[in-house]
Amino acid sequence: MPLSAYLELAAVVFAIGLFGVLTRRNAVGILLGIELMLNAVNINLVAFSRFRADLTGVVFTLFTIAITVAEVAVGLAIVIVIFRVRRTIEADHLDLLRG
Amino acid sequence: MTEILGFWVAAVVLVAASLAVVLTPNLFHAVLWLAVALVATGGVFLLLDSPFLFAAQLLLYAGGVVTIVVFAIMLTERLVGESIRQTSRFVFNGAALSAAVFVGILGFVLQAGAVARPAAAADQLRDLGRALVGPFAFPLQLIGVLLVIALLGALYFARTED
Amino acid sequence: MRLGSPELAVLVLFLPFVSFLLIALIRPLRRSGRPAAAVSILAMAAALLTACLMWQHAIDAPRGTNPSVLWSWLPADGGPMASVGVWVDEMAMQMCMLVTLVSLLVQIYSWSYLADEPPPSLGRYYAYHSLFAFSMLGLVLAPGFLQMFIFWELVGLCSYLLIGYWYDRPSAAQAAVKAFWITKLGDLGFVAGIAMLWGSTGTFDFATLFQAAGAGTLEVAGLGTIMFLIYLGAVGKSAQFPLHIWLPDAMEGPTPVSALIHAATMVTAGVYMVARAYPLFALVPSVLTLVAWVGAFTALLAATMACVERDIKRVLAYSTISQLGYMMAANGAGSPDAAFEHLTAHGVFKALLFLGAGIVIHHFHTNDVFRMGGLFVQRPWVGGAFVVATLALAGVWPLPGFFSKEAVLAAVLHGRLTLPFVMLMATAFLTAFYMFRVVFLAFFGHAHHPHEHHAPPLAMDLVCRALAVLTLVLGLRALFAGHHAEAPAWLPWLSLAAAAAGIALAWATYQRHALDPARLSAALAPLAFLARRRYFIDAIFAAAYRGVLLGLSRVIGWVDRYLVDGVVNALSAAALRAGDQLRRLQTGHPQDYVYGVALGVLLLLVWAQLR
Repeated sequence: MPLSAYLELAAVVFAIGLFGVLTRRNAVGILLGIELMLNAVNINLVAFSRFRADLTGVVFTLFTIAITVAEVAVGLAIVIVIFRVRRTIEADHLDLLRG
Repeated sequence: MTEILGFWVAAVVLVAASLAVVLTPNLFHAVLWLAVALVATGGVFLLLDSPFLFAAQLLLYAGGVVTIVVFAIMLTERLVGESIRQTSRFVFNGAALSAAVFVGILGFVLQAGAVARPAAAADQLRDLGRALVGPFAFPLQLIGVLLVIALLGALYFARTED
Repeated sequence: MRLGSPELAVLVLFLPFVSFLLIALIRPLRRSGRPAAAVSILAMAAALLTACLMWQHAIDAPRGTNPSVLWSWLPADGGPMASVGVWVDEMAMQMCMLVTLVSLLVQIYSWSYLADEPPPSLGRYYAYHSLFAFSMLGLVLAPGFLQMFIFWELVGLCSYLLIGYWYDRPSAAQAAVKAFWITKLGDLGFVAGIAMLWGSTGTFDFATLFQAAGAGTLEVAGLGTIMFLIYLGAVGKSAQFPLHIWLPDAMEGPTPVSALIHAATMVTAGVYMVARAYPLFALVPSVLTLVAWVGAFTALLAATMACVERDIKRVLAYSTISQLGYMMAANGAGSPDAAFEHLTAHGVFKALLFLGAGIVIHHFHTNDVFRMGGLFVQRPWVGGAFVVATLALAGVWPLPGFFSKEAVLAAVLHGRLTLPFVMLMATAFLTAFYMFRVVFLAFFGHAHHPHEHHAPPLAMDLVCRALAVLTLVLGLRALFAGHHAEAPAWLPWLSLAAAAAGIALAWATYQRHALDPARLSAALAPLAFLARRRYFIDAIFAAAYRGVLLGLSRVIGWVDRYLVDGVVNALSAAALRAGDQLRRLQTGHPQDYVYGVALGVLLLLVWAQLR
């Protein structure tokens, strides 16, 4: 398959992930959308790395996976703390930053 | 030939699972669908001649991340006492914007010409190892630090108030 | 023409200024009273001596030389924008001598007259006197309109300060403000005229302007308007109709102040200015005619009001307004020399009249003539001095008033101004009448209330005697100087006859009681009524002031509240509203912010495509 096929696949998954971030009400649901977006990015990186015979993309993907794991852990910890304090994790109710 | 077939299978599974992740009302089911999507992504990596990444993906993502999210859902769900319903709001706006972003990216993708697939590397793992301790040694250490910080942060946040 | 030494002129100018600085700045000196008075009097005496020296050592110079010496004040490219200096011709030197002499005599007189004042007030009084002398001399010696205007305003300030010397009396404070306001009205015209003149010619200096005027090269559009505006300053300062209303009220100040400022020096500044700027006025004969008519009319108007006054100082005030009208009429008729002659003569004997009135008031403890009487028998010297001055004012030969009035009338006749001439003759008759009315009521007849026989203080007495002697000397000098060539032969006899008629009428009414004053005024009932109410001019001014000024302030207040503030308030309200609207963007929901980020990414993609 040509490079563009993989890139289009990644773009589709990215768009679907964005849709999830924008429309999910639950905070954990939003995090799932973010996971999808990151995955799409990884596919992109690996595809470019393969088609340019450059290992940098793969290395980068490894790092991205590590960072994503860390981000998920901390993010969910925050969600749990919010839940403890406010008894809800619905995005609509978490508007303390309201101006 | 097999490559084309494999690609289409992985692609369909991935897209379908992603849609399921964002559209399923039940959050728990969404997490399970995410696991499927992550495995499909691993398959794509395999098609791109990166078996190591396929393994890493399965271990870290499909294993670790999914587990954490499941735990989080169970913790927040149990405390409420009912499964959380998911009724998305402003679906149309979100769909429109996502479609627009997709079209935007697509525009750039289509502009690029066809690129030939070069020969596969002989031993990707060795080269990867050499790269990690060679040019990318510094970022590797930083990642280590980051993981420690993340661990500490998560511990701190999740501690019980004594 | 004779020119004086500029160095001496500057010395004359700065002696009283130094005295003012010393008294004003050294607090213990001012608060001690008498020593401050001594400083001021000494400075004034020195200034008088210098002025006389200046006159003695004046050099003859050919006609047309520039009498002024200028020092650059506001430098600019292409010549200084404004200069200061001195202009020392004959008129300036004579005026210097008059100002310093009368100032000195008045200051000596005040030493006794204000003996009961607390020392700090006395110090303040003499500080004002020194400042006034400096300002008046600066005005007299000014070589250009700018310097003259600056000192003009300073003189006005001193007048305000001195009229309101007893500032805790409401009538005095109001009179001071009224004087300031009315003269300021005239000054508005003055400064506008000066500015317009400078705009057309680019200079304030008399030398340049007069030279151009004489050579016929003065090209100024609307010179008539400009000179009329400048004349307005003189209208205010020299109490011409209709801005004469401040002078009678200015009598609230101490009598020596009235003698100095409102008889001899300050009020004559307007006449002096017109006489000084005569080369420019000569270019606009229509304005000069107006000056003459207004002068004559003012003279007659004031004389009628003086006939019905009871307060001796008010009578003298109206008399001053009347004589100022005479001087202005002479200016307008084309003879500034006649005006100046009358100015100097009048300065001497009017000062004497005021100072003598001060003694009279001091003796009777009242200003009302109808409560006086029989002073001549008790105080013959005072009476004699007063009568000498009154005869001079009435224009009786051989006193200076006769010669100067004759010069004025001759000038008016020569200028073919018939009706003003008639008005001035009528005024001469009335002047004699009302002045001798005062003399007969105050000095002759029976004393209404017996008074103690304490003599007037020495200083006051001596000053009056000195002024009386000076009046006689001036008269003799004018006698031996010869008559003016232009006067027709019948003029001196006519003016003498008018004076004699006035004196006779006063004698018949108030001394002999042959005529009843009540029936006299009944015969002229409408005039008497109007005169008693000062022709309602004060009321008109007050109503105009209230109407115009308050109306204008209401309009401006409305504009300020609704337009100026309105704009500012509207702007701030708009800012607040915009802020309120904008804060709706901050919903607090992170998803909405993601929307924003996604939109931004979209825009970036579009922009990158289009490049």
